[in-house]
Amino acid sequence: MEVLLSIKNVSKYFGGLGANKDLSFDIEKGEIIGLIGPNGSGKTTLINVITGNYAADQGSIRFKGHEILGLKPYTINRLGIARTYQVVQPFVGMSVRENVVAGVLFGRDGKGRKMKAAWEKADEVLELCHMQEKKNEMVENLTIADVKRLEIAKAMATDPDLLLLDEGMAGLNPKEIDDALELITKINKMGITLLVVEHVMKAVMSISQRVVVLHQGLLMAIGTPETIVRDEQVIKAYLGEKYTLRRKDQGEAKKL
Amino acid sequence: MIERRKNILLFGILILVLILFPFLASNYWIRLFTGIFMYGTLAQATNILMGFSGLVPFGNVVFFGIGAYFTGIAMLSLGFPFFIALVLGASACFVFAFVVGHPVLKLKGHYFAIATMGISEAIKQIATNVKITRGGMGLNLPLVPLEVNTSYLFFYFLMFSAMILVTIAAFWISKNRIGYALRAIMSNEDGAKSIGINTLHYKVLAWAISAFFTGLAGGIFAYWYGYIDPPSVFDIGISVRFIIMILLGGAGTIVGPLLGASFIELLSETVWSQFLFIHLGVLGAIIVLVVIFMPKGFLWFYRQKFSLEALLENVRKGKL
Amino acid sequence: MLILQVLINGILIGGLYGCVAVGFSLVWGVSNIINLSHGIFIMLGAYITFWLFTLFHIDPFLTIPISATILFLVGYLVQKFLLNYVVGYTQQSGFGVFLSLILTFGLARVFENLMVGIWSGDWRSVTTTYSGLSLHLAGVSIPYIRIAVFGVALLSAGLLSIFLYRSRAGMAIRAITFNTVGAQIVGIELDRIYNITFALGAALAGIAGSLVSLIYSFSPFLSTPYLSWAFVIVVMGGLGSIYGAIAGGILLGIIESVASVYVGPGYQQAIGFIILVLLLVFRPQGLFGKKFLK
Repeated sequence: MEVLLSIKNVSKYFGGLGANKDLSFDIEKGEIIGLIGPNGSGKTTLINVITGNYAADQGSIRFKGHEILGLKPYTINRLGIARTYQVVQPFVGMSVRENVVAGVLFGRDGKGRKMKAAWEKADEVLELCHMQEKKNEMVENLTIADVKRLEIAKAMATDPDLLLLDEGMAGLNPKEIDDALELITKINKMGITLLVVEHVMKAVMSISQRVVVLHQGLLMAIGTPETIVRDEQVIKAYLGEKYTLRRKDQGEAKKL
Repeated sequence: MIERRKNILLFGILILVLILFPFLASNYWIRLFTGIFMYGTLAQATNILMGFSGLVPFGNVVFFGIGAYFTGIAMLSLGFPFFIALVLGASACFVFAFVVGHPVLKLKGHYFAIATMGISEAIKQIATNVKITRGGMGLNLPLVPLEVNTSYLFFYFLMFSAMILVTIAAFWISKNRIGYALRAIMSNEDGAKSIGINTLHYKVLAWAISAFFTGLAGGIFAYWYGYIDPPSVFDIGISVRFIIMILLGGAGTIVGPLLGASFIELLSETVWSQFLFIHLGVLGAIIVLVVIFMPKGFLWFYRQKFSLEALLENVRKGKL
Repeated sequence: MLILQVLINGILIGGLYGCVAVGFSLVWGVSNIINLSHGIFIMLGAYITFWLFTLFHIDPFLTIPISATILFLVGYLVQKFLLNYVVGYTQQSGFGVFLSLILTFGLARVFENLMVGIWSGDWRSVTTTYSGLSLHLAGVSIPYIRIAVFGVALLSAGLLSIFLYRSRAGMAIRAITFNTVGAQIVGIELDRIYNITFALGAALAGIAGSLVSLIYSFSPFLSTPYLSWAFVIVVMGGLGSIYGAIAGGILLGIIESVASVYVGPGYQQAIGFIILVLLLVFRPQGLFGKKFLK
């Protein structure tokens, strides 16, 4: 499979704290890859490094063969990487539709677009994300699920090849999670590659082809969801040492 | 739709009235309205940056002064005709803002405000000391080659045109990509960067455009008054005045700054004629009261339907 | 020894600059209020000293506690009855912070007019019998007045520091600088602290004003330079830092003293402002490393 994003030896330190330590992995074109790990393991930091919001201390990130480390966030967006924020960042004071229009105007092919064409493209994106009915609502009046959906719509408006979703399911009820998963799958079927950072296990495991596990800034494991779930180190990191030992004893007992 | 048509009709009538007005009014009124149009232009110009992006350029008066001096010096020392000198002055302001803007607009909110104040004060002092500006003695511009009554009309229509021009610019910006960029930046700068907005570029552009029109007003002012000196054209009080006008009328709206300018100028004129001696003090007191009771401006107040509850709620909220 | 003279002049006047800046820095750092009336408060302090000296022949240095007290009261009233209405806004983002700027600007104009009404706009100064006397040492001439002014300025800053670090009210003030919510949780009444802080800032302006009257000519319309010094020094020394204000003041004093000799006397303020802008762009945490509060 073709490699879309290649992360090599990326490190990011905040003072003495290593948020990302020597991370290396590839994201393949067309896949949905999950990124999980306990709080503080460096997931959001990694996203910020990829998008250029943070400057990495060391390493290289190549997107479609070109080095993007050191580029400004808006340049990286125009090259084809879009993201959502964990703490949602809608443009307050503007309607849903205007939020999406903003993405259309400045994203990948934004430069040449005239206003009328921008409005039309925005409507297409809203259609895709099932938000047409709400299009004239002011963002302050939206529910949390809608705001998260709007985040995705804004990102999609910029025409990305790679979409980084930072904990888009936090705070959603099961039905809303299912809707979100459906949207993500639909986006993936359009040919867009996705990196999904999540804490909601059921969601990320069901949708990802591969999963990357971070722990204290290091890459702990990478593999299919089935492999990851059984990986001892991962279980220890998430559930603690005692649980792992207990499982081991149970496992031993079972064998006997 | 009908609402829209009604607004355009009202607007059209207003413009017509303003065009016919000077032919029927005395010179006192013509001068008064010319002053209103000048502040209308200044308020609208700064509204382009402030109303859409939320950045407050306390030092924007520096462009008023630069426009005034450039126009004056171009006419005096280089012999340029007025209109060319005027455009030169406004363009110089655009360039200055564009260049200085790149480092300065990386600053956050109040630090940008302070930096602009610092720039304005520094330029003021430099203008006071440099030969070409005739320093503290001030600059006398060439006399206007028109008969008195005609010159009153001339400057009335000139300022009026400037105000219309900058308002059209503000309107156009609000509907197009610059407006979107600025509003996104005001709401959420990181979010704006993530969707491809080169935030610095748009902030600089907005400031440069506001500088152009501020300089335009300055140049017209210089020719109108015939005499300028650093303390009067680089006076931070002028900036504060038009910023209050913007806040008063409603920042980010198209009509707001013009309303605010009209109100403050008319009020100031009334106060001046009634309370000659302490008029600045009274004006200051009014500013204080307005800030406390209507922090979001006239249009906001109007939308609250002038309710007393809203007023009291606002005061209570301000009191934490 | 010109260079030594220039340096000493700069250091001595720098103490006064620091005193001018301390109150301004305190109020900004603690309450997030940029007090554009600070300059006029200084002028008020100067006039109080002038009045007491001219009418009652009280030695200017003895009038300092009086001017400090009067300004303390003025500041307290201003905060309690005017500024507290907009403080809620200054803590938010958006235009809130500018409301305090505009309010204090309007207030300054009101005070200016009142003072012109009472004292007229004529330039005044305070000249005592000992004003002209100087110490002559190692080829340098040091006016006694300037040494005394320097001393009082530093003393005031020291007293403020003791207050902030050793008294309960002072601790409360320092607490809310860092965390208004946290401070309220432990029972600190925000409004009262804002009142005291602003009053202190005004009192310090009063002291600075009394000192100013001995060195410079003053009038209600000459308040701007003091405000501009305050701005520059706050950026240099770091927001809310007393040490930074004094150190920044002395540094600015030296820079201006050197500049007035080698560049020309008219450019003093321009240089100060250019430094301000350069610092904001390249080193916003100030020269002494203290972080700018949001």
